[in-house]
Amino acid sequence: MTNRTSLLGVFLFGCSMAMGCVAQQPAADAAATPVKLLDQRRMQPISGDAQAGAGKAAVCAACHGAQGVAIAPTFPNLAGQSATYLYAQLKEFHDGQRNDPVMTGQAAALSDADMRDLASYYASLAPKPAGQADASSRGAQLYLAGDPAQGIPPCQGCHGPTGMGPQPHPSSAPQPPWATFPYLRGQSGLYLTKQLGDYRSGMRAGSSNAKVMQGVTQTLGDADVQALSTYLGTL
Amino acid sequence: MLALKGNRTTLSTLALALLCGLFGTQGALAGDTSGTMRVGDMQYGNGLDPRGWTPMLYPADPDGMSYLHAGMLRTPTGALYPYPLLIDAGKPVGQGDWTYSGLLEFGYLHVGGDRNAEYFRQYDDWKSGAVLGLFALDFNNRKTGSYVDLRGSRISGDDQFYRLRGGRYGSYRVEGFYRDMPHTVSTSAYPIWNGVGSTDLTLPSSLVAGASTPAQVAAVSAATPRRSIGLTRTRSGLSYEGVLYRNWIGSAAITNEKRTGTRLWGGSMFFNFPFPDNGGVLETVRPIDFRTTDINLSVRNVGKLWHFLATYNGSFFRNHKDHLDFENPFALYNVVGTPQVADIKDGQFSLEPDNDYHNIRLDLSRELKGNGQFTVAGAWGTMRQNAALLPPTACTGTGGIFIAPPVNYTFQCANWNTTAALSRQNANARIDTGLFDARVTFQPAPAFGWHAGLRWYREDDKTRYLAYNPLTGQYGYISENGSQGSVVPGETGIFDPTNPLYWSSNVTVRNNPFGYTDSIFELGSDWQLGRKTSLGVTYTYDHNQPKYRERKRVDDQRIKFDWVSRDVIGATVRLSWEYAKRDGDKYNYDPYAQFFSESLPGFVDPATGLPAHTVADMRKYDLSNRTESKARAIVTYPWGESATLSATFYGNRDNYDALIGRQTTNTTGATVQWDWQPTPATTMNAYLGVEGSRMGISNVGDSDAPDNGAGLGTIGQTNPNLGGPLYPYANQWWEFDRESNRNAGLSFSHDFGRARADISYNYTGSFGHVGYTYASIGALAYRDPAGVAAAEAGFPDNKYRTNTLDLGLSFRVNRNVGVRLYGRYETGAFSDWHYAGLDNTLSYDHRLYTDKGGQLHYSVSLVGVMLNLKL
Repeated sequence: MTNRTSLLGVFLFGCSMAMGCVAQQPAADAAATPVKLLDQRRMQPISGDAQAGAGKAAVCAACHGAQGVAIAPTFPNLAGQSATYLYAQLKEFHDGQRNDPVMTGQAAALSDADMRDLASYYASLAPKPAGQADASSRGAQLYLAGDPAQGIPPCQGCHGPTGMGPQPHPSSAPQPPWATFPYLRGQSGLYLTKQLGDYRSGMRAGSSNAKVMQGVTQTLGDADVQALSTYLGTL
Repeated sequence: MLALKGNRTTLSTLALALLCGLFGTQGALAGDTSGTMRVGDMQYGNGLDPRGWTPMLYPADPDGMSYLHAGMLRTPTGALYPYPLLIDAGKPVGQGDWTYSGLLEFGYLHVGGDRNAEYFRQYDDWKSGAVLGLFALDFNNRKTGSYVDLRGSRISGDDQFYRLRGGRYGSYRVEGFYRDMPHTVSTSAYPIWNGVGSTDLTLPSSLVAGASTPAQVAAVSAATPRRSIGLTRTRSGLSYEGVLYRNWIGSAAITNEKRTGTRLWGGSMFFNFPFPDNGGVLETVRPIDFRTTDINLSVRNVGKLWHFLATYNGSFFRNHKDHLDFENPFALYNVVGTPQVADIKDGQFSLEPDNDYHNIRLDLSRELKGNGQFTVAGAWGTMRQNAALLPPTACTGTGGIFIAPPVNYTFQCANWNTTAALSRQNANARIDTGLFDARVTFQPAPAFGWHAGLRWYREDDKTRYLAYNPLTGQYGYISENGSQGSVVPGETGIFDPTNPLYWSSNVTVRNNPFGYTDSIFELGSDWQLGRKTSLGVTYTYDHNQPKYRERKRVDDQRIKFDWVSRDVIGATVRLSWEYAKRDGDKYNYDPYAQFFSESLPGFVDPATGLPAHTVADMRKYDLSNRTESKARAIVTYPWGESATLSATFYGNRDNYDALIGRQTTNTTGATVQWDWQPTPATTMNAYLGVEGSRMGISNVGDSDAPDNGAGLGTIGQTNPNLGGPLYPYANQWWEFDRESNRNAGLSFSHDFGRARADISYNYTGSFGHVGYTYASIGALAYRDPAGVAAAEAGFPDNKYRTNTLDLGLSFRVNRNVGVRLYGRYETGAFSDWHYAGLDNTLSYDHRLYTDKGGQLHYSVSLVGVMLNLKL
């Protein structure tokens, strides 16, 4: 399976923001060399030194906030996120499966230990407090039950009924890499809309999880994306 | 290989124009399910590729089944699903939404060694020469779901298939096919006759019908060249299934099967065993020229409440060669030594008649309150044949034996060799069937369900035929074309109420219109014991009412237990045990008097009384009291993430309550299988199966001479009881049959990237032993010292064994071209006492055989090189 993500994907995290986040290099000029797909199917939950990570997070706070809650809705909230998911994203930025004018440069200098520490640190922070989501909204319906008529699967299957991670049944069957799936509760709606759009367009397609989301987003219309983002942003 | 890339737009456009012109649709490359019998035919394939599309099965998708998880999922019972194929989107056809992909594999095959070995050729027409491994051309329209696909393969003109299929998923499907399938019966046949394959077997010019000596026949047989006996099955068909209107779905199919060739057959001119030099026993060859046309129509509706299905099945059999005439080379002599007046030298068989079958069936089902379902089915069928009947004999001149006035057993063939000798000109045969089947199923709780069913089926043979000759006023038919009555006085096969020589002849004069009514009641329930364990119990009561049989009622009660657990030390275990008991009303050992001349007016009992029909203590195995138990255990153990170990153990035991007849049967077997697929590129399987079976039979020989009783020809012949003069205990004998079968297989395949290797080995072996004991030599047909010595020696064991090794190596030259090297080496050994000695001579006195049987030992090889082109 050939990955052509580098030809297509540039993630825009609002690169005009704070000084530490200013782009250090042009985006996606690694285009010529296809980057191997990051197969996350056998990825185990990671461990790291959260305390050490705190010491390395100063530059990150410029966009993602001092306590992991982003300073603007274009940036993702990292507080309380799955450590394994965060580590996987840093690694994708580092290895080129995911590209962003800012993050590609920021991750380039990180060692594997740095990435584990940073991921553990942000996972240890208290997540953004819960909001007042509309349980009767189209977004809630899609998230919790999907829409079989349109072929939309329920998001909660992988992201959990409250957006705080999955609740798998014990089974001897091969399991999805649950720890690599992000928590979505309280995530910025604007950021989610952007990511769902990138999955759908193929701009974000550098990992096995991204391939899953590519399939899911093919079933979503613009209104569905908006409804989901709104629901999750207020969850 | 499904990933078909390249630039062959011209070809694809032409092909698309052709195919879409027929159907306006396109084909899916991935799914090659042969579908239901409503549309299409059985599994397509041949000896080179039993699956019918093996070249398209590779490579497997390296990304596996899903991005959601690593490895492969398992079926609910624990078996691994195979890795999916690497699907290619195909190449665009023009500017539209259609894409195409295709494959052409062809090459040369060379057969070496014992290329005519019977078991090597049994279902394959292997020849050295060019072969078409596979031609596949598929068109898809992913936007509309339409498809057209074409498949073809050819080993020879008698071993090939072609299929064109098209449709739109969820809407309709249409298919046309043509296939030839060989079936070789013998590759070592030496028929002496001219006209093999026709309806008329004539002797070569060096032999004279009815006047040749055994030595002359033996010489001709020895000089006869070898030939093969077999047939080719040619099937073609056209079928459609699709939505007619809203929820109404209809299907229509017509299939034509033509079978042409030859088969080994008989040619009796009466016994040659007890009467050396008198009769004649021939193994002839009959023609096969059948055509069967099947028509299937159905319409169904799946509503919210009711489900409805109506079907019609029609089958029309036509035999274009409905008789076989043969010349007998041997002279017949009567056993009383008087001058032979009969000149019986021709034989004739009536072969299968044309016949028609119709069946209409209606199925209804609906949901019931309480999580239930009700289904009911009714069907009516009729089988009819009304072919013109052949005369009772084809002999000419005089038949029978003249001893001295008034003992004249001769008959004039002219009175029997025309259809005027028949009581009617056509068969007027008809069997009607009826079916009613109802069933309710309820699942009142998640952990409990029950079902009940009632099935009624009747088979009613309405055929009535009386064998009466209006030309002579006699009943019955001339047996063995007149030869029997020309060897043994009076055994002409006829009853004549006006002739003292024949008024005591107890011969068959009517057909037996066997039939039955079968009613089955079933009650069962299932319990879910915890999340992974279930228990099922089913009771069945089968009430059968046969007609014109030894019993008028046979009841079979059965109880079955099933226990399934999906977590016994990680394995899925399925256990079942069932016990059945059969009994019935009084057993009448002779219900057949009404079909014999003894039932006709004018029949006179012989002075010594009528011989017993059979021993009264005989219980036929399908009607006797019987107990049966069956047990089965199936274990499926997921061995790590990529392997499965499965085993099956089973045993059946049947005990029959019969002094004479079948006593016991039992079967015990086991299989063990290991499947391993560590990566999409590698698979390995190993299989071992063994089965043993035994059968015991008790029997008694009737007394045929004073030295083994006092039966036939004496007053005692009327006594049917075991231990009586006709069936003395001293004539009892017992047979003990043993069979064992073993088979094993090992296969390995690995994709190295640019090359792929496939290796497989298969072994089959069987052993059969016919054992027997007897109370005394009175049980033997031959009681002379040589016969007794032969009986003491017993039968040799029968053995059959094959070993087959297949090797394949495929190279990818570039993206569109590949080369496949193929080799097979097969050895076999065969030993069957039925054919013992026939490799030396086929001629023994007045007995002439045609088939020498399978080769005692053979080894044969196949090598081939195939070019593989992606289109």
